[in-house]
Amino acid sequence: MTTWRYLAALMRYRPWLYLANGLCWTLVHLAPLLPGLLAKWFFDALSGSASVGLDPWSLIALLGATTLGRIVILWLGSETDSYHRFNMSALLRRNLFDQILRQPGARALPEAPGAALSTFRDDAEQVEETISWTLDQIGTGLFAIIALGILLATDARLTLAVFVPLIGVLALMRLASARIERYRRASRGATSRVTGLLAEVFGATAAIQVAGAERCVIARLRGLNDERRRTTVRDRTLTQVLDSINANTVSLGTGLILLLAADSMRSGSFTVGDFTLFVYYLNFVTEFTYGAGQFMAYYQQSGVAFARMVGLLGGAAPTALVAHTPLHLRGPLPAPPPPPSPAEPLRTLAVRDLTYRHPQSGRGIAGVGFEIRRGELVVVTGRIGAGKTTLLRALLGLLPADSGEIRWNGTPLTDPAAQLTPPRAAYVPQVPRLFSDSLRENVLLGQPEDRADLPAALEIAALAPDLATMPAGLDTLVGARGVRLSGGQIQRVGAARMLARRAELLVVDDLSSALDVETEQRLWDRLLARPGTTCLAVSHRRTILRRADRLIVLRDGRVAATGTLAELLTTSEELRAIWYGAGVERAGEGAAG
Amino acid sequence: MAIPLREYWQLLVVYLRPQRGRVGVLALALFASIGLQLALPQILRRFIDDAVGGAAAGTLTRLALLFIAIALSNQVFVAWAKYLGETIGWTATNALRTDLAEHCLGLDQSFHKERTPGEMVERIDGDVNLLATFFSQFAIDLLGNGVLIIGTLALLFREDSRVGLALTLFALLGLALLLWLREIAVPSQMAYREESAHFFGFLGERLGGTEDIRAAGAVAHTGGRFTAHLRSWWPTARRAYLASIATWIVTLTTFAIGNIVAFAVGLALFRAGAITIGTVYLIFSYTELLRRPMERIRTQLQDLQKAGAGIVRTRELFALRSRLVDGPGTPLPPGALSVEFAGVTFGYEADEPVLRAIDFRLGAGETLALLGRTGGGKTTIARLLARLYDPTVGEVRLGGVRANDATLAELRGRVGVVTQDVQLFGGTVRENLTFFDPTVPEERLWATLDALGLADWARGLPAGLDTELAPDGGGLSAGEAQLLAFARVFLRDPGLVILDEASSRLDPATEALLDRAIAAVLRDRTGVIIAHRLDTVRSADRVLILDGGEIVEWGERVALAADPASRYSRLLLADKAGEGVLA
Repeated sequence: MTTWRYLAALMRYRPWLYLANGLCWTLVHLAPLLPGLLAKWFFDALSGSASVGLDPWSLIALLGATTLGRIVILWLGSETDSYHRFNMSALLRRNLFDQILRQPGARALPEAPGAALSTFRDDAEQVEETISWTLDQIGTGLFAIIALGILLATDARLTLAVFVPLIGVLALMRLASARIERYRRASRGATSRVTGLLAEVFGATAAIQVAGAERCVIARLRGLNDERRRTTVRDRTLTQVLDSINANTVSLGTGLILLLAADSMRSGSFTVGDFTLFVYYLNFVTEFTYGAGQFMAYYQQSGVAFARMVGLLGGAAPTALVAHTPLHLRGPLPAPPPPPSPAEPLRTLAVRDLTYRHPQSGRGIAGVGFEIRRGELVVVTGRIGAGKTTLLRALLGLLPADSGEIRWNGTPLTDPAAQLTPPRAAYVPQVPRLFSDSLRENVLLGQPEDRADLPAALEIAALAPDLATMPAGLDTLVGARGVRLSGGQIQRVGAARMLARRAELLVVDDLSSALDVETEQRLWDRLLARPGTTCLAVSHRRTILRRADRLIVLRDGRVAATGTLAELLTTSEELRAIWYGAGVERAGEGAAG
Repeated sequence: MAIPLREYWQLLVVYLRPQRGRVGVLALALFASIGLQLALPQILRRFIDDAVGGAAAGTLTRLALLFIAIALSNQVFVAWAKYLGETIGWTATNALRTDLAEHCLGLDQSFHKERTPGEMVERIDGDVNLLATFFSQFAIDLLGNGVLIIGTLALLFREDSRVGLALTLFALLGLALLLWLREIAVPSQMAYREESAHFFGFLGERLGGTEDIRAAGAVAHTGGRFTAHLRSWWPTARRAYLASIATWIVTLTTFAIGNIVAFAVGLALFRAGAITIGTVYLIFSYTELLRRPMERIRTQLQDLQKAGAGIVRTRELFALRSRLVDGPGTPLPPGALSVEFAGVTFGYEADEPVLRAIDFRLGAGETLALLGRTGGGKTTIARLLARLYDPTVGEVRLGGVRANDATLAELRGRVGVVTQDVQLFGGTVRENLTFFDPTVPEERLWATLDALGLADWARGLPAGLDTELAPDGGGLSAGEAQLLAFARVFLRDPGLVILDEASSRLDPATEALLDRAIAAVLRDRTGVIIAHRLDTVRSADRVLILDGGEIVEWGERVALAADPASRYSRLLLADKAGEGVLA
């Protein structure tokens, strides 16, 4: 899709607002036509070659009146423009956000969240700026046409001699635009490396402080900063040099007028008033040329911005970026979406030939199949890097499976990513992410409280004692990423989040890794005591393995063995290695595979 | 609200001083350009008067050519000045960014736990970006434009004192108006920036939590929160925009008045026969010449308004002091460090102690198993040992030295911590191992990897240690990340090693491998192991069990294990009974 098509789609989002805004700004830009004419008439009246019958004092009064009119339009224009601009960047941000949330959750971003954040901030703003500039271009363009008409009527030869070089400048700008784009890309890339590092650093301050690594991290930042300065200065200097070539044209034009009009001025056929008008309009017409150059640069930059934004869309069509999504900036909020209808109770979940390979490392899982029936606990186990987490994620569509079939009660799921969510399935990852918000919000995440059975979820997740010690109970705010909470508490909040969804199938990734045994025991006791609880869990803890109805032993991304603990302890060497922690000599190999 | 100009000045002095030479050249280029700009209207006046007076064609042509030559050389100076300005600006803001990041990174955890990484990016990068034009253009350009205005007025006085006076009054009035506007616009800019920081903070967190949002079926809900943020952001954006347009309107009015004054004075003097029509044009032309510098001052003030908001917020950050006061630098003894807690009480919030009157002493080279329920205060002990926080009451001693007496740098250099949540950075495996320290010798890296049994794993990576990790450590399993964190700590050869739930995410096979390495590394060091598995702590010398922030059991592991009444032996029993994992 070309940059223009994106821009046009955005303009069609609020067509009337855009038109009203365009009208205001066209008038704002046309307004200087009058002072130019007034100045001409003024000098003509002074030199006695008056072309209109107004005395100089009334001309001065008219000048005052014109200004007042312009102020009114400008104020109107700022009301329309501020709203329209905000709409433009907000729409891009909204669509980006929606699309990112539609991607497989564990692989939603192709870059660090910090870098993506700079796209949300800067690239959306760049496009907003460019769209606002289109209006300025229309206004100054109209001004240029009318002004040229007036000048041609005054002295056609001089007009052509002076204004033709301007076209040359435009051509120059075009030639330079490819380079601008390249420089801009480099500088944006360097910028997002800086913001990416900052985001990572401030997400890991404790680790850095404890490691005493502040200085090295800052040195790294300094290096990236230097790179950014080099690329940005290059980018901006080129833009500025182009600007100055443009500004040069005004002075050159004035010089040309002097050179060419000398004779006719001596003869009186070209008046001082005419000269004033030429110089006055030259300034504004050049502003158009300058603006056009600037606009072209902006246009190029928007191309880069769109490319980066589309890069965040994952597989979605580029048009999704400029889809006309309602923003609800004003007026009543839309009704929240109806809660999903209850799922068909789970009888069996059958997985066949599930395959996913990480694009970077080529590792993952291949051809994994298993079945889980209502009320069962199936535990996935294996060494580091065996693909346990990958299996859960691929099953839930949090990673896009390369192949595989998932059947819910025998019916194939067409879109597991959408279907294996609450109320069918709920999941707690190894390290749940908490948001800077209240605990209640973190647990519910939009689940209506009356459907969540919150007390039960908190009870099972063994959070009740923790809540009792918190100042505001469930309404206690947890800090950035829940730093105030211990690792175990975060994990239990994650568990409560899963339980509050009252899903048919619970998927648990190493839930107990940060929990002490008593808490963990209580948690599993209560969880499995709930009638009809079906659970797929990753673990290598003996307690859990012992409780499991069946084990799936993964090795290098494939199912090495499956069966009950008792069976596998006799038949599977891999399980024995895990059970007795005796597979030391092969662990390195396992980790690398 | 007013921002004292002194603040601007201080920033300028600090960040422009290292670039004195460059700033000097920039000033020269600007002044050359000012002189040339002032010359142009003089030529125009001569030209008009000569043309109207019927001078020789050759004279007029010479004047026209002179005009073009001056205009061209002016542009060279302008372009040069722009380049220098950008370089100066970016050098200065980079330094500011780095200083700010360094300062914030030096703040204690009570600061960081309340701020999201996205918010910090906005404050360190976003706010400082606002200062970029301030550094590159503002100071020198403001000065240049001031000189240009004064020069223009001086030349008008030379023509006629009444003209000079009228336009000086106009210029003063205009500037006063513009300065007054600045004070109005800063608060709305600040409110806008504040709200953007909230918005991007929200966004940053959600972008980092897509897996949780998706899996919890909370996509629509999160979308709703997004809308709510937009709705509170929009009014501040509108107010900030209107404030900046108000500045434009004032400028517009000012210049209309300027033109009217110029025309009126010119007309009156011309009618009185005091000046030629060329001089009327000169007056008009100089008024127009005033437009650019005054308008530049206006836009610079607009930048300054933004910069003002940036400066205020930057100053707020710089004004924050870490609650941890760096120690005077009592040296820690070499080798393994003994650990002592003397009457330590601590809470993250003033009246909510997490630890109560903790007393214990661990000899140098001993290993302590720290056990107890989640939330019992185990991690807090680790944080106090690394001096991420200071005790509210009592003291922590390492190697007999009060933790507050050693420098933070030395203390943290000698205390190694491995936590469960491993933070990885976009960069190579090597950079992640060394925390970007390029001075770590290759042999040390490999020796450490060897000691941890990771050498084969590292060699098996696509590009060895130079393998690029995706941001957030993507491409590594949690277990591998954990192993990497071990390597990080052991690389620094600490005297005290704290493993906080460090091995909980490893499968038993890998953990057994690591256990051996840990044992080897702990041999000459003091160790504090917080673990849920008794396996991990079977070689500990001492055991400390915490509950509700208090010590409920403390003693030698062997002795406790032999005492059937101890909590530890009950735990062991439960473990033997087959529950496998414990504590």
